[in-house]
Formats: sequence, structure tokens, C-alpha cells
Amino acid sequence: MEALTSQLEALLADNSIFTLQTLGYYGEGLVTTVQLVFLSLVIGLVAAVPLAIGRGSRHRWINLPIFLYCYVFRGTPLLVQLYLIYYGVVFIEGIQDTWLWAILEKPFVPALIAFTLNTAAYTTEIFRGAIKATPRGEIEAARAYGMSHRLMLRRIVLPSAFRRALPAYGNEVIFMLHASAIASVVTIMDLTGAARFVYARFYAPFDAFLFVAAIYLCLTFTVLFLFRYLERRLLAHLRPAGG
Amino acid sequence: MAETPIPLEVRNITKRFGDTDVLKGLSLEARKGDVITLIGASGSGKSTFLRCMNLLEQPDAGELFVHGEAIRFKETKHGREPADWNQVVRMRARLSMVFQNFNLWAHMTLLENIIEAPVHVLGKPKKEAIEQAHSLLERVGLTERANAYPAQMSGGQQQRGAIARALAMDPDVMLFDEPTSALDPELVGDVLRVMRGLADEGRTMILVTHEMAFARDVSSEVIYLHQGVIEESGPPKAVFDNPRSERLKQFLAPKH
Repeated sequence: MEALTSQLEALLADNSIFTLQTLGYYGEGLVTTVQLVFLSLVIGLVAAVPLAIGRGSRHRWINLPIFLYCYVFRGTPLLVQLYLIYYGVVFIEGIQDTWLWAILEKPFVPALIAFTLNTAAYTTEIFRGAIKATPRGEIEAARAYGMSHRLMLRRIVLPSAFRRALPAYGNEVIFMLHASAIASVVTIMDLTGAARFVYARFYAPFDAFLFVAAIYLCLTFTVLFLFRYLERRLLAHLRPAGG
Repeated sequence: MAETPIPLEVRNITKRFGDTDVLKGLSLEARKGDVITLIGASGSGKSTFLRCMNLLEQPDAGELFVHGEAIRFKETKHGREPADWNQVVRMRARLSMVFQNFNLWAHMTLLENIIEAPVHVLGKPKKEAIEQAHSLLERVGLTERANAYPAQMSGGQQQRGAIARALAMDPDVMLFDEPTSALDPELVGDVLRVMRGLADEGRTMILVTHEMAFARDVSSEVIYLHQGVIEESGPPKAVFDNPRSERLKQFLAPKH
């Protein structure tokens, strides 16, 4: 570790921008970005499954609110949603006197809420489409073999839909990773926040943003490879023999 | 639903789609060991009739008995529906269906397809279900394909796999809905051979088919449907060799 640090110091010796200190900012930014994106994706995913099932319900009072939620969150920019949640909560009467204020005062949780609501809306639509695309014959077979509605969902419809949704969901994950850059506008020191700081400090936009672009690129490729691996494993049934 | 000599009986089934009466009061009684074949031109209602027997289609009127137990219905604003879905689920688990398009579950291997319903519907121990599945696969000649996915198998293999899946339920009655119609001609023989084996061992079967030679060989009773009515029925010899109705004569006449 010591050796690595000194090597790095040597490398950065005649460089006024990428010092250990600014690299530290990028490092913290990376952690914040990954936390923010990962948490919002996980919560959004968990919420999207029941929402997608409910979206396909015959009952209007179940499917209509979900439809409206998806419509609103897919129909407005994430940046606007973030502003509304971060700046908007201040105007809720008396919120500053409650325990909630301690959480909502800082930007992380409002950003997490905005991102989660946004990704859950998109993921719900992805899953809904995948559920709807379940081959009719497979559903008939499940019914003909005595499966209850619940068992059929659990054993046939959802496992088949999740696999179908995988490529589209991979795109959603990458989209969220890139969209998370706007967290910096509400003062979160994420990756882009770190880059903005370095830019402002040294007035070196190219160095600051090219470097952060490279980090985003690495993250994106990690996600891509992860999904490619998952697809290879879980979509084996779609490949013809010998594939 | 105790064991009785009549595992399935339907009485006066009617069904409309929109303005069309598809089934106009059809009855049928399957005794243990019967092989009943439904024949008729397309649009005669034979597949719909078969699908009413396990309630994949809801008949508008009529009665169903599984081992003498009547399926209960109730009237709703959407039409008639089963009153107790648990009863339907229980009843379906005793009948099993083989479909024209196989309808194997695509995300599961053949073996997983076969053990799925026995394990999760009947509550059979997994180990036992797997052992049974292997012996069924041997029986339909697919020992090698246990771990293949449906997309990796030919139509004939998929259909034989689907028959193994149906047998794994240890059904009282097997329903076959045009099991060879989606197959290339050279693959039909393997599937029919498996079905003949089932008929020979005394399985109760109800099938919809266009394979007349097969129907004549294996059936105990042949029912000819025309526009939702049973036009003629009886033992295969009588129906095929001495058809009484003009329509059946025309239907059976060699086509050029």
C-alpha cells in the first residue's frame, strides 16, 4: 500500500490538477454514485414487480393509479422530479419540525427518492411488457395442469418474464447510472460533483470531465459484462441446439 | 373425487362466441379405458368441446362430472363461472392435456417441465418426481434430451415430451387436442406410436384428431361433430364403414 501511494505520488508529481486530494474527491464521488444508483435500482426493482403485476390487473382501482404513476414519472424529466422532491419538501407545512427533516435536509435521500420513483416507473413498464408477452399456450398449459393463479405467476409467468426483460432492464441500469450525474445539481458530491469541483477549482474542464467520463465508461462496461453474463446463463433456453 | 368407473362425464354443453353458437348441447361419457375420438371439419367445435372439458373454455350451460362429482357454477355479470376455483384446480390435476402446439414451458428443461406440476401442484417429493420423469422419458424415447430446452428440440420431440409431462400427473383422463397437426409428416409417426401404446395399456383418452386411420385403429368410440352438434357417433367400425349421415359420408370421402 505504501509503495503504491509513493508510486502514485511520483506519477502525479508534475501535475497540478490530479493530486492525491482531488483523486480522493473522485474516489468519494465514485462511492456516492455507486451507492445512489445501486440503492435506487434495488428498491425500484423490488417495487416494480408487484406494480407490474398490478398494472395488468383487471380491476380499475388497482391498474389506474399504477398507470398514472408510470405515466407521470416517465413523462417528466428526472431533473425536474429531483428539483420537486429536493426543493419542494421545504414547502410542506411543519416538515421542519419533524424527524423527517433531519433526513430530507441533506440531498442524498431526496435524490434517492427521486431516482427510485423514476426507475421503478420505467422498470414497471419493462416488466409489464414482458409479462404481457408470455406465450398464451404456456399460460394455458399452466392452467390445464391445475396451477392456481398465484402458483402460475410464481412458477411460469414471472420466471419467463424476468428472462425476457433482462436485455431491456440492462439498458435501464445503464440509463440510471448516466442519469445519476444530475445528482450533482442538488450539491451531492457524486462523480460528476467531484468533476465539477475540480473544474471550478482549476478551471480545467477537459481534464476534469474527460477523467470522469472515463470512470463512467468503466462502470458502464462493468454493467454490460454483468448483464451479458446473466443473459448467457438465463437465456440459454432461447438459443437453438449447439449454441 | 373418489375412483369411479366414469372418470369424466359432460352433459348438454353449450357455448357461444359472440353471435355464433359453437356448441349446441353436447354430451359425452368417458368410462375407464375408453378412447373417444372427436372428428369433424375445422370449425365444427371439436377443439372447443375438448377445451370445455377442463374448463379452459367456460361453457355457457351444461354440466360436468369428474368421478361423479359435479363441478359447481355460479352466474356472474360476465356470464357463468365456476363457483369454486379450488374445485376446478383439483379437477384439472386429474385430467391432463396435450396441446396442438405442445406448450412446453420454454424457460425450463424438458425434465423440469415434466416434474413441474407433479411437484408444485400434486406435492410429490422432488426426488420421486425426477425418478418417474426419467422412466417416462425412456418410455417416449427421449432419455437423451432430459436437459434440453424446448427450443432445442424438434416438434416431434417436444410433443412426445409434452405427453411425458401429461403422464407424470398420473391422470385419470388424457385430453389430446390435435396432437399431430403442427408436426411435419415424418414426425407424426413417433407421436402416434406413443399414443397407441397408451391406448393399449388402457388409458382413458379423449382426442381430437385428423388422423382417420389412427382414429379407426385405437378408438372405442368415434364422435362426428358438425356445426356444434353430434351428427353421428358409435364404434369406429360403424362410423367409418357404414356412415349413416350424408355429411359424414362426404367428410370421409377421399378428397382430391
